[in-house]
Amino acid sequence: MPNLLLPSVATILTQRDETPDVRTYALRFRDPDERAGFAFTPGQFLELSVFGFGEAPFCLASSPTRGPDVEVTVRRCGRLTDALHTLGPGDEVGLRGPCGNGFDVDAARGKDLVFVAGGIGLPPLRSLIWNVFDRRREFGRVTILYGARTPSDLVYKDELRDWERQADVTVRVTVDRTGPGWDGTVGMVPVLFDHVELNAATSLAYVCGPPIMIKFVVQDLLKRGFAAEHVISTLERMMQCGVGKCNHCCVGHRYLCRDGPVFNVREITEMWE
Amino acid sequence: MERSATRVIARSDVNEWLAHILHHRDVIAPTRSPGGDTMFAPITSPDDVLWDFENPLAPPKQFLLPQTEPLAHFRRIDGHMHVEPVAEQRERVLFNVRSCDASALAFLRETYARDLADDVVERRAASLTVVTLACSVPCELGFCVCTDAGPFLRRDFDVQLTDLGDAFFVEVGTDKGRALVGLADALFQDAASDDQARRDASELAARAHFGGETCHFGSAMRRISTKRVADELWESMSAWCLDCGGCTHVCPTCYCFSVSDTPPADGCSTRCRLWDSCQYSAFTLEATGHNPRTAHGERMKRRFHHKASAQYFQRDGRVGCVGCGRCVKVCMGTTDMPTVIAAIRHGTWDGGRAHA
Ligand SMILES: Cc1cc2nc3c(=O)[nH]c(=O)nc-3n(C[C@H](O)[C@H](O)[C@H](O)COP(=O)(O)OP(=O)(O)OC[C@H]3O[C@@H](n4cnc5c(N)ncnc54)[C@H](O)[C@@H]3O)c2cc1C
Ligand code: SF4
Ligand code: FES
Repeated sequence: MPNLLLPSVATILTQRDETPDVRTYALRFRDPDERAGFAFTPGQFLELSVFGFGEAPFCLASSPTRGPDVEVTVRRCGRLTDALHTLGPGDEVGLRGPCGNGFDVDAARGKDLVFVAGGIGLPPLRSLIWNVFDRRREFGRVTILYGARTPSDLVYKDELRDWERQADVTVRVTVDRTGPGWDGTVGMVPVLFDHVELNAATSLAYVCGPPIMIKFVVQDLLKRGFAAEHVISTLERMMQCGVGKCNHCCVGHRYLCRDGPVFNVREITEMWE
Repeated sequence: MERSATRVIARSDVNEWLAHILHHRDVIAPTRSPGGDTMFAPITSPDDVLWDFENPLAPPKQFLLPQTEPLAHFRRIDGHMHVEPVAEQRERVLFNVRSCDASALAFLRETYARDLADDVVERRAASLTVVTLACSVPCELGFCVCTDAGPFLRRDFDVQLTDLGDAFFVEVGTDKGRALVGLADALFQDAASDDQARRDASELAARAHFGGETCHFGSAMRRISTKRVADELWESMSAWCLDCGGCTHVCPTCYCFSVSDTPPADGCSTRCRLWDSCQYSAFTLEATGHNPRTAHGERMKRRFHHKASAQYFQRDGRVGCVGCGRCVKVCMGTTDMPTVIAAIRHGTWDGGRAHA
């Protein structure tokens, strides 16, 4: 990195509306060398700049197995994300990263994988899910459990159907409150555990979503015999620099932007400040 | 010929040395502000430099980490965004810095170089030469003896001066310091053993004359690092903190920051790094509205965990306090470093000190 806090320019290639307030952008580094040299792991994130509006962290939602262009899925909720949502294909943003530790993909080889996501927690898992599908033979059974508040809050709706068609993959989706055209499961994410068979001894579980969802899902997994080291989650804190300097993201002496955002539940339980 | 690392310069020659330095470098020194108080500021004449002064309330950290620091200009040219890093200025000398402040600058330099190095700060640190004036007469509120940051230094200076009355004892710590002395080499003599003895006596005398302020980090660190400070203690202490962030702003080692853009005008904007404070409630406020540190006591706990936990001490190799005493001076309540450290040691809080 030539300058730790200096963003590089990237162009928006495409945009896709996921929900009324969530949009996925595909981005390409403007500098060809930078594009070619950009390497990352699922679970890492980018600092994305909207020039004149600052920068904020967003998970890399695409997989390194699918080329050097990257995707982010962004919920509109404030100053920067409002400004981002006014941009479209051809417009330029800034990117800095990748930041953070990411998932240990090699540790997942040979394991059955359980992905549990709530709401906007699916993007970081999608990066890992794509990665697993692109190296399918290296991993065992895949179970994907996903929930959102209402049917219209589900992201990646088309992909969920594609994923289900893959061999040895189970996808279960639920919504807190039903809506027009929904004939699937209704209830919070943990209800999905009653709809699948999980083998705690052979599995790793990845859990992403709002803190309250993570709490209940983790409790359930532990009750079903998962070891705390085998339940992996991402933590969120207010972040500014993303590179361990500004102190916004600290929990005790741990820096979520450097030591995290990916931790296993044992590490999370041992964290204190 | 290899030059000795210890030299002597006559008091009457110091201004000539400074004139040589001013000819080649920007010089920042404690000086009298138009309002009459002491501050670190660029000087234009050797006569502006103070030699007998109270350490300024604003530490020299602003010359390593500016309070508002432009990082890059964003310009839209022909429909495309250009990111232009802000170029750094010329070589600067920080003159007559106190030992505690020089230790703090070293702490900051190391912090920004560790792990992912912040090249902007590294370059600025490399272009700074630090000349310290050892504290032959310790300041009233300082407790640098408790933090290994003064009153005399063994490291962290480029040049250390000790006032011997008619002359200054000159210790050259680095190549940068050697270059500064080299600007007027003829003004310096090699130190004799008698000069060294007078310097050492001055250090001993300084230690003996220390102010009333002490700060026992060791036992407080043991408690902080092993979760043996009760939440109730933080809660009761926090009632005596006005949440103003003053301590973090005058602290020479505090370095929390935020990043922000100036509002765009004609497609142009400037990205700035700004001092922030972990003592402000919005410091950890997330976009969802969730805030993991809502209780005031939790923010205080954070500050002292960063300053005086074994976890951070292991990482940094230093306590995050140099004992300059500025928080004692600036706190409108009673929650300055020595008072809080004492409360942690004793496990009780009685409202803190009565400020003079
Ligand atoms: C590692 C990491 C990865 C992330 N990945 C993603 C991702 O993939 N996708 C994604 O969408 N987000 C992600 N986020 C979150 C994302 O960074 C934030 O949503 C983003 O910073 C919001 O910026 P903003 O400027 O738009 O919001 P801001 O302007 O900073 O503020 C957010 C909104 O919160 C509201 N708000 C502020 N204070 C309160 C309060 N006290 N009570 C109620 N509301 C309040 C304000 O009204 C404002 O509209 C991630 C965060 C982290 C740390
Ligand atoms: S704290 Fe120590 S080093 Fe700092 S000014 Fe006071 S006596 Fe000098
Ligand atoms: S976001 Fe700045 S230290 Fe982690």
